[in-house]
Amino acid sequence: MSLVKRFFSAFAAAAIIFPCFVGFAGCKKSDSAITLRVCSWEEYIDEGDREEGINPMVDDFTEWFNSSHDYKVKVEYSTFGTNEDLYNSLSLGDVYDLVCPSDYMIMKLIAEDECLDYSDEFFDVAAEENYYVNNVSPYIDGIFKANGWDKKAACYMWGTTGLVYNTDKLKNTKDVSTWKILLNEAYKRQVTVKDNVRDAYFATLGIINSDKLGGEITSAERSALLNDVDARTIEEAERVLKKIKENVYSFETDAGKSDMVTGKVIANYQWSGDAVYIMDEAENDGKTLWYSVPDECANLWFDGWLMLKRGINGNGQRRVAAEAFVNFLSRPDNAVRNMEYIGYTSAIAGDEVYEYINDSYASGGAEETLEYDVSYFFGGDCKIIADKADFGFDGTNINRGRQLFAQYPPQNVIDRSVIMMDFGDKLSDINAMWISVRCQDLKDISPVAIGVTAAVAAVAVTGILLYVFRYRIFGKYKPKKGYEKVEK
Amino acid sequence: MKLRFNRKQLCIPYAVFLILFVIFPLLVLVYHAFTNGQGKFTFSNFTAFFSSTNTLGTLLYSFAVAAVTTLVCLAIAYPTAYILARSNFKKKYALLLLFILPMWINFTLRVTALKEILTLIEGNISKYQFFNSVTGMTYDFLPFMILPLYTSLSKLDKSYLEAAADLGAGKFTTFMRVTLPLSVPGIISGVTMVFLPSMTNYVVLDMLYNSTYIMGSLIGSYFSAYDWNNGALISLVLLVIIFIVTLATNRFSEKDSGNRGTLL
Repeated sequence: MSLVKRFFSAFAAAAIIFPCFVGFAGCKKSDSAITLRVCSWEEYIDEGDREEGINPMVDDFTEWFNSSHDYKVKVEYSTFGTNEDLYNSLSLGDVYDLVCPSDYMIMKLIAEDECLDYSDEFFDVAAEENYYVNNVSPYIDGIFKANGWDKKAACYMWGTTGLVYNTDKLKNTKDVSTWKILLNEAYKRQVTVKDNVRDAYFATLGIINSDKLGGEITSAERSALLNDVDARTIEEAERVLKKIKENVYSFETDAGKSDMVTGKVIANYQWSGDAVYIMDEAENDGKTLWYSVPDECANLWFDGWLMLKRGINGNGQRRVAAEAFVNFLSRPDNAVRNMEYIGYTSAIAGDEVYEYINDSYASGGAEETLEYDVSYFFGGDCKIIADKADFGFDGTNINRGRQLFAQYPPQNVIDRSVIMMDFGDKLSDINAMWISVRCQDLKDISPVAIGVTAAVAAVAVTGILLYVFRYRIFGKYKPKKGYEKVEK
Repeated sequence: MKLRFNRKQLCIPYAVFLILFVIFPLLVLVYHAFTNGQGKFTFSNFTAFFSSTNTLGTLLYSFAVAAVTTLVCLAIAYPTAYILARSNFKKKYALLLLFILPMWINFTLRVTALKEILTLIEGNISKYQFFNSVTGMTYDFLPFMILPLYTSLSKLDKSYLEAAADLGAGKFTTFMRVTLPLSVPGIISGVTMVFLPSMTNYVVLDMLYNSTYIMGSLIGSYFSAYDWNNGALISLVLLVIIFIVTLATNRFSEKDSGNRGTLL
């Protein structure tokens, strides 16, 4: 680290730590509480403001922890807006004990050796209060183990990416079964895309490799195709993304949700959790929206809790508190509360979660029902008897549906979903590609337009200059006929 | 002990503020602009900026958005300010208030409202991205143009106009020879206050779905890829542009510096 950077981060750290010390010293006298600094996504935990009489989850945790331990904890809960914001704030010296970034940022932070291993006690299945290991879905656990993240990361929420769409305005239901809808002229300026390079690039790879992904393909090949960061692929993606830019309604960070609900757009590239939120909101407005996962591929994403070395800093009590926080959120009743609040799908698969899902989606008196298989997630032979009218079929496969489909995708969607890895050292190339897509390239403006604009500007400037300095250039001011200038 | 302050010490709070929040960040900016990721001195960010057609195109696009916004603001604001300053209307302060009033509301709220209005008019707002951006910026910055113009026009001594009329100048000549030259400081002040921020105000573009980057969004996109160096360099380039424009306009209106509409 360079001197200036170090100075800067020391300065930033001092600015943040100093108030902590003051607060710390203040508490120490009274009840010697330790402070747990948690940083997570905005609106990603039950904040208790939905119903009367429900406390924020964080307060419940503090109460639970303090009543069962011989020391006290105080939670400083802060939020971030994007993974990059979190990373930048960490590299500027902000200190947190527990953070909840997404998959690729988890990989990056693990690769940079910023994370602490969860302790052996955390994985002790015999202890009842180890809610995470006792309740995490075997499906999620398997993925984390296969990728070697299980020691350092505890999954919080997970989901897929797909398209939320309005059936009434769709010309053909087949259109939402492919990422090519982003290029479809029939929906010019009527579909939105996420305004971040990873999601946009993923869909573009789906379009480019559409034929290969539709054929016989192993999951390793699928994963390789959708994590392709070869220079030639990036170039191809740039070409496609430039067309997408001309065809879609907007690149949006958050506005897509309301645009979908208010009906400004027909389809909306969305994360499954937000898709559930949108469908719920639309239902309140009396509209029925659907969620589809394109046939080519789905991006399997997840957010997980990481303990940071720099925050925990060898403090055993703080580590215990951090692990307890993860466990508390993983207690099935709390997982249900958070799911209800934010609309995303928890990685927890306890009985209470299953019952909640069953209560929410099991059909009461539907004309035709089907057995919706969620056994991959909950284990055993868990099924939900759901209303058949809430699903769309491609042959026998369910490939689109409503809230239940978005929260727990069926096996065929799971089969074609891929985890998108961190771009690593290709990030700058891909970012350069993204900038090139979004910028007005000088080469793309016709020389005629540049010429005309330059000429107009030149004429205007000369005109103004000539007018301002007219006496100096054209000589003295001459009075009009009938008047004469009086010399002193 | 008796505390004594002399006048110089009164500026200590501001000096501290200046060092902490202006000079120090500026130094960090310059440092990042001329180093690479490893902290080695380099001009490569600089050459990359001026050799890439993308960044130059963005600079041009930002200039275009800002220039059109400024012209539209001027075209709307000048007649308004002129009428307001000239009228003997008793309630003209109330009228003036109407123009300042929107500034009391948070601008993201205003742009959100504008988005709905534009959707109502255009149907699909993403088809008219440049037009919408200019409209949004104009909506946002119009008061910054009206107020300096109003100040400089209302300060204009009426006896100049009477003298011009006495000497046989028609209304048009009076305006071109007397009113307009005397309001130049107001124009310059307004132009700087509108042109410079509209080069970087990418929130308006984002909210109105213009998917083409301007300078502000370009800087943001570098920062989100942890590329502090290129982002810092672009900020520095902007800073230099702003500096040059300010210097040029100051020179232009030096004589009437006391008359500038610095109401804001």
